[in-house]
Amino acid sequence: MAKQLIDQFAATLPADKRASVYQSTKSTHEKRTKMLFDQFAEPNRLRALAGEIKQHVLEHLDTLLPAVEAKLQANGARVHWAATAEAACTAVLRIMQARGATKMVKAKTMVSEEIALAPFLEKHGIEALETDLGEFIVQIDHDHPSHIVRPIIHKNRREIATSFERHGLGAYNDDPQTITRRARQFLRQKYLQADVGLTGANFVSAESGRIVLVTNEGNSRFSLAAPPCHIVLVGIEKLVPRDRDLGLLLNLLARSATAQQLTVYTEFISGPKSAAQPDGPEEMHVIFVDNGRTEVLASECREILRCIRCGACMNVCPVYRQVSGHAYRSVYPGPVGAVLSPLLAGKKFPELADLPKASSLCGACHEVCPVNIPIPDLLLRLRDKAKREGARRAAAGTPPMGAWALLASQPAAWKAALFGSKIINYLPTKLLPVPPLRAWEDTRALPEMRGGEFRKWMKGRKKS
Amino acid sequence: MSSDRDTILARVHGALAPLAERAPLPEWDLELVHMRTIQPATDLWALFAERLKLVNGTPLSAVADLVALLEQGRWRRGYCDPALWPQFKDAFPAIFTVETAFDRTRVDDYDFGITAATGAIAETGTLVLTDQGTSSRLAALAPWVHVAVLRREQIHADISAALAVMPADPNIVWVTGPSKTADVEGILIEGVHGPGVQVALLV
Amino acid sequence: MLNAERKPVTGKRVQLMATCLCDAIYDDVGRATVEVLEHAGCTVDFPEGQTCCGQPAFNGGDWAAARKVVRHAVRTFTGEDPVILPSGSCAAMLFHGASLAFEHEPDRVEVEALGRRTWELIDFLVNGLGITTWPGRFDAKIALHRSCHTRGTESIPAALTLLRSIPGVEVVEFGEVEQCCGFGGTFSVSFPNISTAMGTLKLAHLRAAQPDLLASVDMSCLMHLGGLAAHEGKPVKIMHVAQILRDALKHP
Ligand code: SF4
Repeated sequence: MAKQLIDQFAATLPADKRASVYQSTKSTHEKRTKMLFDQFAEPNRLRALAGEIKQHVLEHLDTLLPAVEAKLQANGARVHWAATAEAACTAVLRIMQARGATKMVKAKTMVSEEIALAPFLEKHGIEALETDLGEFIVQIDHDHPSHIVRPIIHKNRREIATSFERHGLGAYNDDPQTITRRARQFLRQKYLQADVGLTGANFVSAESGRIVLVTNEGNSRFSLAAPPCHIVLVGIEKLVPRDRDLGLLLNLLARSATAQQLTVYTEFISGPKSAAQPDGPEEMHVIFVDNGRTEVLASECREILRCIRCGACMNVCPVYRQVSGHAYRSVYPGPVGAVLSPLLAGKKFPELADLPKASSLCGACHEVCPVNIPIPDLLLRLRDKAKREGARRAAAGTPPMGAWALLASQPAAWKAALFGSKIINYLPTKLLPVPPLRAWEDTRALPEMRGGEFRKWMKGRKKS
Repeated sequence: MSSDRDTILARVHGALAPLAERAPLPEWDLELVHMRTIQPATDLWALFAERLKLVNGTPLSAVADLVALLEQGRWRRGYCDPALWPQFKDAFPAIFTVETAFDRTRVDDYDFGITAATGAIAETGTLVLTDQGTSSRLAALAPWVHVAVLRREQIHADISAALAVMPADPNIVWVTGPSKTADVEGILIEGVHGPGVQVALLV
Repeated sequence: MLNAERKPVTGKRVQLMATCLCDAIYDDVGRATVEVLEHAGCTVDFPEGQTCCGQPAFNGGDWAAARKVVRHAVRTFTGEDPVILPSGSCAAMLFHGASLAFEHEPDRVEVEALGRRTWELIDFLVNGLGITTWPGRFDAKIALHRSCHTRGTESIPAALTLLRSIPGVEVVEFGEVEQCCGFGGTFSVSFPNISTAMGTLKLAHLRAAQPDLLASVDMSCLMHLGGLAAHEGKPVKIMHVAQILRDALKHP
């Protein structure tokens, strides 16, 4: 029987990686929980409200998108639309070419990962440099982020020091402070030389057209202080209805993501720099990206589009903690990724249809999600979809249920099977080539089968 | 790209059309996001200063304290907003070199940058900077020490109060402590791309 | 997941859904459930035609198969009396999972009606019948595993209330109480490496508290943890909360 890819991945993940992913996700989760419950009277009420606000946005995108477009234009930004990843990449390229630009500094944006922007631009002779420390390290290592908030959660300081040395960023030194200072020195020159700064957006207020961006490092601020042109790459689902709703969402985002009351830099950008300001972009472009989102919106899993990319679901997820992010073979790992990645894959859904299976459905993700996404329900819906579409990757290792259901809807057959099950007690089960049995018994003892005993007892009581 | 616009909006319409009803926008009470650990303060500066310290920021209420801090850190070359410099000039001894124009070709020559804040949020220890109020975005960001000059009446109680009076400005930045990262093994390092020391100076 | 629109309990007649685990393996848990309910003054009806709640197929992704089994349950558990299960997980299947699986089905109403009178046993005792203390005596240090499908329900607070009220019981705390045991139904055999790693971690936390036994309102988790421990050659004692309540009654 075929095996589950994510389970196989878990088996090969080095123990030290697993341990460091476990330690850091656990500690972030615990700090997050303490902070929310210490500081707010009703944190779960906040999560529910935030979920309702984002759900409202999703179900009113038809009116909100044109409204925000008009706001942005009135604020002096140019608005572009990209239905696909290719269209989004091309839109960025066109803006750059029109300015004769060849150098870009990028703040961390998951959308740019999703559309594979940096490799695309490089092919067209454009340097697109990551400026978030973690993303920068991922980029010089030709690696992939393994967590949406902590891209290098899978790397240790020794690996980082080695690649810094290899890339001419100083002799080997694995002190995190030194690593950070070296990146600071190297990157600030890059900001100053760049023609374009590209960022994502955490929120876009439909009311004011303000783009809200949060970072701790200050890289997005630098991208908006040095280069003369700012490009914002944003998924169409990132809107919030009113500025006041940001009070709720920002409070939840910072606590959920990094256990902070506010992220260090929260920027509200509504257009190019003002006339008197010597630094910053004189031109601002906003690219609204679909790339599969409208399909998700049309599906019964649209709630996943509420996601504000805080990473709390992966921090608490017992499966993510065992496998880390690369196991999910996609840009979005963990519980959110197990829902979003197969959906965004569109026609390639079957290739990622095993992701929703990689869950014990424990529900911890739902419990922490700041926008209250019922992730387990969505995982279940996708399991059903995978089954209906006959996705083989999803089916691997799951015992077939058809015959069982037949049995479980016929009481006589069920009772017979119950009594029959006792035979297992007398069989050399360890020798039986039944895959689910093997999978169980390799690490877990089988309980004694006592089929029918309870019914016998019940009957006996009735008589007496 | 108008065709992509039409495509996307048509798909959105198509996706939402089958919905029998749409999720309403909930009203919510701002009180809900009030931190219960914080007592309503009469002295917002005191609360702000306390909260700023919690995020490793440095609240100061006298120019002399600022000068002492800079001397102690051996941060002697800096930038100051030309509109603010006349009021500070006399407090800075001659060992300091302070420019009132920021030269972006020499960003590393500045140890500190002094610019004006537009506001602050007491509850979170946050400074509010705006594009129109900041004489140079780079000067407020690139030097190791950033000093935001704040007046008492500019301090808001909490996030919601600050959001309610957002100025019409293309670039409002809320700064809550020094620039930081925990990307390397979860270890907190301050001063990544932005300032390693964030000062709020009350005048 | 809270059973939001649950029907209030009026009478003392209940229907027992023993669950397939008690039917096939843990008969003593079934017995304890009956005795505990009877002690609480209930008349327990056991519909003979019952089989399973449908969860294995539902979680496995085969919703067509799951619906078949749920429909059978709807046909078997007729009337208005509360349906009691000695399992938070199977109860949640009936009051939450089934309504997902029947979202677009014509008989959704009947399925949801069954869900509204479905209770996990301990939740029923405390919140359905209003029992808050339990008599007798039970001398043990107990680690109560929080089975995931009771997340957001009243079952765990209810179990803690009853256990703590029993003279002799000490409920011990342990690390990461909210974390899953790694069972997850078919997950345990389709993702054996991850499932085992999760269970091993859970066991380590539980053992660190040095309890005399592990308790839960779900035998599935205990089967997993107990099986892991036995395979390691270091067996742990497992008990359903119903068994503890029943045994407490033996020592007045
Ligand atoms: S799904 Fe929820 S918890 Fe997970 S990243 Fe998105 S917002 Fe955060």
